[in-house]
Amino acid sequence: MSRRALVHVYGWLLLTPAAILLVAFTHYPTVTTVVQSLFSTGSATRPSRFVGLDNYRFMLDDEVFWKVLWNNLWYALGTIPASIALAILMAVWVNRAIPARGLVRMAYFTPTVLPMIAVANIWLFFYTPDIGLIDQVLGAFGIPAHNWLGDPATVLGCIIVMTVWKEAGFFMIFYLAALQTLPPELEEAARVEGAGRWYFFRRVTFPLLMPTTLFVLINAVMNSFKLVDHLFILTKGGPDNASSLLLYYIYEVAFSFFDEAYAATLTVVLLGALAAIALAQFLLLERRIHYR
Amino acid sequence: MSDIRLERVTKRFGQTEVLHGIDLAAASGEFVVLLGPSGCGKSTMLRLVAGLESVTTGRVLIGGEDVTERSPAARRLSMVFQSYALFPHLDVAENIVFGLRVRRVAAADRAARLRRVAAMVGLAHLLDRKPAQLSGGQRQRVALARAIIAEHPICLMDEPLSNLDAKLRHEMRIEIRALQQSLGMTVVYVTHDQTEAMSMADRVMLMRDGRVEQVGTPDELYQRPATTFTAEFIGAPPMNILTPSGAGWAEREPDHAPLPAAASGARVGIRPEDIALADHGLPVRLHAADYLGADSIVTARVGDQEVVVRVPGRLRVRGGETAHLTWASEAVHAFDATSGRRIEASETQ
Ligand SMILES: Nc1ncnc2c1ncn2[C@@H]1O[C@H](COP(=O)(O)OP(=O)(O)OP(=O)(O)O)[C@@H](O)[C@H]1O
Ligand SMILES: [Mg+2]
Repeated sequence: MSRRALVHVYGWLLLTPAAILLVAFTHYPTVTTVVQSLFSTGSATRPSRFVGLDNYRFMLDDEVFWKVLWNNLWYALGTIPASIALAILMAVWVNRAIPARGLVRMAYFTPTVLPMIAVANIWLFFYTPDIGLIDQVLGAFGIPAHNWLGDPATVLGCIIVMTVWKEAGFFMIFYLAALQTLPPELEEAARVEGAGRWYFFRRVTFPLLMPTTLFVLINAVMNSFKLVDHLFILTKGGPDNASSLLLYYIYEVAFSFFDEAYAATLTVVLLGALAAIALAQFLLLERRIHYR
Repeated sequence: MSDIRLERVTKRFGQTEVLHGIDLAAASGEFVVLLGPSGCGKSTMLRLVAGLESVTTGRVLIGGEDVTERSPAARRLSMVFQSYALFPHLDVAENIVFGLRVRRVAAADRAARLRRVAAMVGLAHLLDRKPAQLSGGQRQRVALARAIIAEHPICLMDEPLSNLDAKLRHEMRIEIRALQQSLGMTVVYVTHDQTEAMSMADRVMLMRDGRVEQVGTPDELYQRPATTFTAEFIGAPPMNILTPSGAGWAEREPDHAPLPAAASGARVGIRPEDIALADHGLPVRLHAADYLGADSIVTARVGDQEVVVRVPGRLRVRGGETAHLTWASEAVHAFDATSGRRIEASETQ
């Protein structure tokens, strides 16, 4: 064999383990999901058959689908900007010389280390009517108890607050890392010119953090569709699907209603949406970001 | 008025005191260089003048006013950083007018000043580039432009040329000096390079371990170093500091290699450029020669002491040859053997 061919073989051999994993656990399931969404769900009496886009037509008429899609949208809008803003704020704050800086950083990071299930349990205690922390505190001011998670009007808000609490610390770490690569002379140069703290943040720090923001934004969007662990503990999507999210609905359809074909259909929609969002973010933001 | 005065300034970081009571006076329009080895406190001192650090004790006065407690911006000065501190995401024009925007200078005025300053430092064709697309020298010019567009009477510079190559450094030295003189700025310039200090300064303040070693014009520091530290810091190669006793010195011919009367028990300093090779004088053994083009730097030995001599042209030394060194009596400086302080000596023996 020629030297060139050998190099190729060598290259492929190195790639093979990763490629096998990727194909077996990502590409192949994706393709079968798409295929499955075009068939009906089989049962003992009626075998699965090709139905074309029937599942998608059914989906467009499914009220619950629209409900969870809207919920997901509000959930994303509620969690992403808030957790990013909070993350930047905390990062800028703990990046300065404050007493017990290490401890403060740790404290902010703790929610991230906790598993989502544990976080949900903590917040379940906060939200519990009457004996929960929130009602106890409000009660001290004479405000009547409220079933926070049982009221369709407040349940999504409760979930949003908890998610922001959990995610902000995680994003803060990325911002903190980015802040520490900024040379301190930039701030000194700005101070000599008379720039205030806010002006400096707006004109220098924030633009220089844009690559981090893009990274964090993509992660946040993905998470807003991906993270549903807390729903299992807190609400199970209720009441009346008021807190259900797309992925949780997919789980219900697949493993509670055992409608595999419809679950596959919803999954394809979710994948499509995520791909579209990621692409749009890259294309729109890429041009406006300064990479060093 | 834009004179700067520091009065008995000390600076402590935690437990360590890095400046031990410094006095400095820079007159309006003067170019003062803070010179000294690495870690002696030059940058710290400049940052105290800028207001980026606060003094532990002492006072800072600018234009006769006490500004010790004032913010950097309120001191109305500009600063050029060693790393240039350009904003990487802003283009050259925005970098230069950054401060004008902060101070809300009107757009028309801003544009006019930008055009004038850009032409002055030769950046007019690069205004829409990002700093990453510039060479080191061009970045240096942007930093300079940002400092002078403010039209502040005082400019502080912390080793602004240390990231440039030798040729560019030479050009920028001349340019900075010319700009300073045409704009009448008061400049405090930090460097550890004595060539920069000698060629640019009206006055040099030589520092050592957080203290002032000597203040004077470049000429004074070169001609009359107050201590052996100054003597060895100024001049390249540095002055020879010798103890005139022991092997070799006994055979010295005083007519050709005179020493001052004060020299007994003291140390003497003679600059390499003041010594010549001759047939009479101080007998030495040649060791090596460094050819530099216009001249050669010859290393010789008297007993176990090393003497460096600058001779014109090229000299080949194989090592081990004997020769004699000669010098004029005015060329000899005497220093106290223990304190290192200069001993004034008019007589020679
Ligand atoms: N923020 C700080 N905290 C503690 N020590 C400091 C701090 N800044 C400077 N020092 C100390 O002060 C001394 C003087 O530092 P400075 O930066 O002024 O030196 P320099 O003369 O500018 O040296 P160089 O030529 O290397 O830049 C050094 O010993 C340094 O370790
Ligand atoms: Mg320094």
